[in-house]
Amino acid sequence: MDREQLITKLKPIIKPYVQDEEAFKNLSEDTDFVNDLKINSANLVDIILDIEDEFDIRLENEDMEQMLDVKSAMNIVTSKIGK
Amino acid sequence: MVGNDLVDLNEARRTSNWQRPRYLDKIFTSNEQGYIKDAENSFRMIWRLWSMKEAAYKLYTQIYPNRFYNPLGFECEVTDQSGLVKFKDFLCYVETKETLHYILSEARLNPQSLGSTIIKFRCTGQREQSEELKARLLHGVDDSYQLKKNKMGVPSLTNGKQLLSVSLTHHGSYGAFVTDHCFRNGDESIGNEAV
Repeated sequence: MDREQLITKLKPIIKPYVQDEEAFKNLSEDTDFVNDLKINSANLVDIILDIEDEFDIRLENEDMEQMLDVKSAMNIVTSKIGK
Repeated sequence: MVGNDLVDLNEARRTSNWQRPRYLDKIFTSNEQGYIKDAENSFRMIWRLWSMKEAAYKLYTQIYPNRFYNPLGFECEVTDQSGLVKFKDFLCYVETKETLHYILSEARLNPQSLGSTIIKFRCTGQREQSEELKARLLHGVDDSYQLKKNKMGVPSLTNGKQLLSVSLTHHGSYGAFVTDHCFRNGDESIGNEAV
Protein backbone atom coordinates (compact mmCIF):
# COMPACT_ATOMS: atom_id res chain seq x y z
CA MET A 1 0.00 0.00 0.00
CA ASP A 2 1.53 3.37 -0.97
CA ARG A 3 1.21 6.55 1.11
CA GLU A 4 -1.64 7.87 -1.01
CA GLN A 5 -3.70 4.69 -0.62
CA LEU A 6 -2.99 4.70 3.10
CA ILE A 7 -4.13 8.28 3.58
CA THR A 8 -7.30 7.47 1.61
CA LYS A 9 -8.00 4.62 4.01
CA LEU A 10 -7.31 6.75 7.09
CA LYS A 11 -9.55 9.65 6.11
CA PRO A 12 -12.92 7.97 6.78
CA ILE A 13 -11.55 6.68 10.10
CA ILE A 14 -10.60 10.19 11.22
CA LYS A 15 -13.64 12.02 9.83
CA PRO A 16 -16.28 11.18 12.51
CA TYR A 17 -14.16 12.80 15.24
CA VAL A 18 -13.16 15.98 13.39
CA GLN A 19 -14.36 19.28 14.86
CA ASP A 20 -12.79 21.55 12.27
CA GLU A 21 -14.19 20.57 8.87
CA GLU A 22 -12.15 23.19 7.00
CA ALA A 23 -8.92 21.70 8.30
CA PHE A 24 -10.16 18.23 7.35
CA LYS A 25 -10.69 19.33 3.74
CA ASN A 26 -7.00 20.23 3.58
CA LEU A 27 -5.83 17.07 5.32
CA SER A 28 -2.23 16.13 4.59
CA GLU A 29 0.51 14.10 6.26
CA ASP A 30 1.36 17.16 8.35
CA THR A 31 -2.15 17.58 9.77
CA ASP A 32 -2.25 17.43 13.56
CA PHE A 33 -5.22 15.61 15.10
CA VAL A 34 -5.57 17.94 18.07
CA ASN A 35 -4.15 21.31 16.96
CA ASP A 36 -5.55 21.28 13.41
CA LEU A 37 -8.60 19.00 13.39
CA LYS A 38 -9.54 19.89 17.00
CA ILE A 39 -10.22 16.25 17.76
CA ASN A 40 -10.95 15.74 21.43
CA SER A 41 -8.19 13.79 23.13
CA ALA A 42 -10.78 11.32 24.45
CA ASN A 43 -11.55 10.43 20.83
CA LEU A 44 -7.93 9.72 19.90
CA VAL A 45 -8.39 6.32 21.49
CA ASP A 46 -11.38 5.73 19.19
CA ILE A 47 -9.20 6.51 16.18
CA ILE A 48 -6.59 4.09 17.49
CA LEU A 49 -9.20 1.34 17.97
CA ASP A 50 -10.70 2.03 14.52
CA ILE A 51 -7.23 1.79 12.96
CA GLU A 52 -6.65 -1.51 14.76
CA ASP A 53 -9.92 -2.88 13.39
CA GLU A 54 -9.45 -1.57 9.86
CA PHE A 55 -5.90 -2.87 9.40
CA ASP A 56 -6.22 -5.87 11.71
CA ILE A 57 -3.27 -4.78 13.81
CA ARG A 58 -2.72 -4.01 17.50
CA LEU A 59 -1.06 -0.82 18.74
CA GLU A 60 1.01 -0.91 21.92
CA ASN A 61 1.16 1.97 24.38
CA GLU A 62 4.51 3.09 22.85
CA ASP A 63 2.81 3.34 19.44
CA MET A 64 -0.09 5.31 20.90
CA GLU A 65 2.31 7.81 22.42
CA GLN A 66 3.17 9.16 18.94
CA MET A 67 -0.39 9.23 17.61
CA LEU A 68 -0.86 12.99 17.41
CA ASP A 69 -0.75 13.58 13.67
CA VAL A 70 -1.51 11.92 10.35
CA LYS A 71 2.13 11.22 9.55
CA SER A 72 2.73 9.36 12.80
CA ALA A 73 -0.43 7.33 12.30
CA MET A 74 0.73 6.40 8.79
CA ASN A 75 4.20 5.42 9.99
CA ILE A 76 2.81 3.24 12.76
CA VAL A 77 0.36 1.48 10.45
CA THR A 78 3.06 0.93 7.81
CA SER A 79 5.43 -0.58 10.35
CA LYS A 80 2.72 -2.89 11.72
CA ILE A 81 1.22 -4.17 8.49
CA GLY A 82 4.70 -4.86 7.13
CA LYS A 83 5.21 -7.45 9.85
CA MET B 1 1.33 25.93 38.38
CA VAL B 2 -1.92 24.32 37.47
CA GLY B 3 -3.50 22.08 34.85
CA ASN B 4 -7.25 21.63 34.48
CA ASP B 5 -9.65 19.53 32.45
CA LEU B 6 -13.41 19.54 32.11
CA VAL B 7 -15.63 16.76 30.74
CA ASP B 8 -19.14 17.66 29.60
CA LEU B 9 -20.99 14.47 30.51
CA ASN B 10 -23.63 14.84 27.81
CA GLU B 11 -20.91 15.32 25.23
CA ALA B 12 -19.00 12.30 26.57
CA ARG B 13 -22.16 10.21 26.40
CA ARG B 14 -22.77 11.33 22.85
CA THR B 15 -19.25 11.08 21.41
CA SER B 16 -17.55 8.22 23.26
CA ASN B 17 -18.52 4.60 23.72
CA TRP B 18 -16.48 3.27 26.62
CA GLN B 19 -18.08 -0.14 26.25
CA ARG B 20 -16.46 -0.85 22.91
CA PRO B 21 -13.95 -3.72 22.99
CA ARG B 22 -10.43 -2.86 24.25
CA TYR B 23 -11.41 0.74 25.03
CA LEU B 24 -10.79 0.63 28.79
CA ASP B 25 -7.57 -1.40 28.41
CA LYS B 26 -6.08 1.30 26.18
CA ILE B 27 -6.58 4.09 28.72
CA PHE B 28 -6.93 2.67 32.21
CA THR B 29 -4.62 0.55 34.37
CA SER B 30 -6.01 -2.55 36.09
CA ASN B 31 -6.21 -0.59 39.36
CA GLU B 32 -8.24 2.13 37.64
CA GLN B 33 -10.47 -0.46 36.00
CA GLY B 34 -11.10 -1.71 39.54
CA TYR B 35 -12.37 1.75 40.54
CA ILE B 36 -14.60 1.77 37.47
CA LYS B 37 -15.99 -1.69 38.16
CA ASP B 38 -16.64 -0.96 41.84
CA ALA B 39 -18.11 2.50 41.31
CA GLU B 40 -21.77 3.18 41.89
CA ASN B 41 -21.75 4.87 38.51
CA SER B 42 -19.05 3.49 36.20
CA PHE B 43 -19.68 6.12 33.54
CA ARG B 44 -18.95 8.97 35.97
CA MET B 45 -15.85 7.22 37.35
CA ILE B 46 -14.48 6.77 33.83
CA TRP B 47 -14.77 10.48 33.09
CA ARG B 48 -13.52 11.49 36.49
CA LEU B 49 -10.36 9.42 35.96
CA TRP B 50 -10.02 10.73 32.43
CA SER B 51 -10.24 14.37 33.58
CA MET B 52 -7.64 13.66 36.28
CA LYS B 53 -5.24 12.22 33.70
CA GLU B 54 -5.76 15.15 31.35
CA ALA B 55 -5.31 17.76 34.08
CA ALA B 56 -2.12 16.02 35.22
CA TYR B 57 -0.83 15.88 31.62
CA LYS B 58 -1.45 19.61 31.24
CA LEU B 59 0.48 20.34 34.43
CA TYR B 60 3.28 17.95 33.44
CA THR B 61 3.78 19.53 30.01
CA GLN B 62 4.02 23.01 31.54
CA ILE B 63 6.95 21.81 33.60
CA TYR B 64 8.47 19.47 31.00
CA PRO B 65 7.46 20.89 27.60
CA ASN B 66 6.55 17.99 25.35
CA ARG B 67 3.63 16.49 23.44
CA PHE B 68 2.57 12.88 23.57
CA TYR B 69 -0.48 10.67 24.03
CA ASN B 70 -0.10 8.33 26.97
CA PRO B 71 -3.22 8.33 29.14
CA LEU B 72 -2.36 4.85 30.44
CA GLY B 73 0.93 6.16 31.84
CA PHE B 74 -0.80 8.70 34.11
CA GLU B 75 -1.91 6.48 36.98
CA CYS B 76 -4.68 7.69 39.27
CA GLU B 77 -5.48 7.03 42.88
CA VAL B 78 -8.78 8.39 44.16
CA THR B 79 -10.41 9.18 47.49
CA ASP B 80 -13.62 11.19 47.78
CA GLN B 81 -13.07 14.24 45.57
CA SER B 82 -9.29 14.20 45.87
CA GLY B 83 -6.72 12.12 44.11
CA LEU B 84 -3.12 11.58 43.10
CA VAL B 85 -1.76 11.10 39.63
CA LYS B 86 1.65 9.56 39.00
CA PHE B 87 3.55 9.56 35.74
CA LYS B 88 7.00 7.95 35.98
CA ASP B 89 8.71 10.01 38.76
CA PHE B 90 6.19 12.82 38.52
CA LEU B 91 3.46 13.12 41.14
CA CYS B 92 0.65 15.64 41.43
CA TYR B 93 -2.44 16.28 43.51
CA VAL B 94 -5.81 16.50 41.84
CA GLU B 95 -9.06 17.96 43.10
CA THR B 96 -12.29 17.15 41.28
CA LYS B 97 -15.70 18.75 41.18
CA GLU B 98 -18.67 16.78 39.89
CA THR B 99 -22.09 18.08 38.96
CA LEU B 100 -24.96 16.56 37.04
CA HIS B 101 -23.59 18.10 33.85
CA TYR B 102 -19.81 18.08 34.07
CA ILE B 103 -16.71 16.86 35.86
CA LEU B 104 -13.79 19.23 36.41
CA SER B 105 -10.34 18.28 37.67
CA GLU B 106 -7.40 20.47 38.64
CA ALA B 107 -3.85 19.20 39.09
CA ARG B 108 -1.16 20.92 41.16
CA LEU B 109 2.14 20.00 42.75
CA ASN B 110 0.70 20.60 46.22
CA PRO B 111 -2.80 19.94 47.51
CA GLN B 112 -4.93 23.04 47.05
CA SER B 113 -8.60 23.85 46.61
CA LEU B 114 -10.17 24.37 43.19
CA GLY B 115 -9.67 27.72 41.46
CA SER B 116 -11.20 27.24 38.02
CA THR B 117 -13.83 29.56 36.62
CA ILE B 118 -16.40 27.43 34.80
CA ILE B 119 -18.54 28.83 32.02
CA LYS B 120 -21.45 27.54 30.00
CA PHE B 121 -20.99 28.73 26.44
CA ARG B 122 -23.51 31.08 24.91
CA CYS B 123 -22.35 30.32 21.40
CA THR B 124 -21.95 27.05 19.51
CA GLY B 125 -19.05 25.99 17.33
CA GLN B 126 -15.55 25.06 18.39
CA ARG B 127 -13.87 28.29 17.25
CA GLU B 128 -16.46 30.67 18.70
CA GLN B 129 -16.44 28.85 22.03
CA SER B 130 -12.68 28.90 22.14
CA GLU B 131 -12.74 32.67 21.55
CA GLU B 132 -15.39 33.15 24.23
CA LEU B 133 -13.29 31.21 26.73
CA LYS B 134 -10.16 33.26 25.97
CA ALA B 135 -12.11 36.53 26.19
CA ARG B 136 -13.48 35.55 29.60
CA LEU B 137 -9.99 34.64 30.81
CA LEU B 138 -8.46 37.92 29.63
CA HIS B 139 -11.35 39.92 31.06
CA GLY B 140 -10.38 38.69 34.52
CA VAL B 141 -6.74 39.77 34.41
CA ASP B 142 -4.92 43.08 34.00
CA ASP B 143 -5.15 44.54 30.47
CA SER B 144 -1.41 44.23 29.95
CA TYR B 145 -1.54 40.41 29.89
CA GLN B 146 -1.57 38.43 26.69
CA LEU B 147 -2.29 34.76 26.17
CA LYS B 148 0.62 32.98 24.47
CA LYS B 149 1.25 29.41 23.42
CA ASN B 150 4.67 27.83 23.10
CA LYS B 151 5.68 25.43 20.30
CA MET B 152 4.17 22.53 22.19
CA GLY B 153 0.84 24.34 22.46
CA VAL B 154 1.27 25.00 26.19
CA PRO B 155 -0.43 28.30 27.08
CA SER B 156 0.77 31.01 29.46
CA LEU B 157 -0.23 34.55 30.35
CA THR B 158 2.42 37.23 30.18
CA ASN B 159 2.74 41.02 30.25
CA GLY B 160 6.42 41.00 29.37
CA LYS B 161 7.52 41.15 33.01
CA GLN B 162 5.40 38.60 34.77
CA LEU B 163 4.46 35.12 33.66
CA LEU B 164 1.38 33.31 34.91
CA SER B 165 0.61 29.62 34.59
CA VAL B 166 -2.73 29.14 32.87
CA SER B 167 -4.83 26.17 31.88
CA LEU B 168 -7.87 26.22 29.61
CA THR B 169 -10.30 23.40 28.96
CA HIS B 170 -13.25 23.13 26.65
CA HIS B 171 -15.64 20.24 26.07
CA GLY B 172 -19.19 20.24 24.73
CA SER B 173 -21.16 23.15 26.16
CA TYR B 174 -18.73 23.95 28.97
CA GLY B 175 -15.34 25.52 29.38
CA ALA B 176 -13.09 26.46 32.29
CA PHE B 177 -9.90 28.37 32.94
CA VAL B 178 -7.57 28.77 35.88
CA THR B 179 -4.40 30.77 36.52
CA ASP B 180 -1.63 30.33 39.04
CA HIS B 181 1.92 31.44 39.83
CA CYS B 182 4.55 30.16 37.52
CA PHE B 183 8.06 28.89 37.70
CA ARG B 184 10.39 27.72 35.02
CA ASN B 185 11.81 24.26 34.75
CA GLY B 186 15.08 24.16 36.65
CA ASP B 187 13.91 26.37 39.50
CA GLU B 188 14.74 24.93 42.85
CA SER B 189 11.21 25.53 43.99
CA ILE B 190 9.80 22.59 42.06
CA GLY B 191 7.77 20.50 44.40
CA ASN B 192 9.07 22.20 47.54
CA GLU B 193 7.14 25.38 47.77
CA ALA B 194 3.48 26.26 47.78
CA VAL B 195 2.73 27.22 44.19
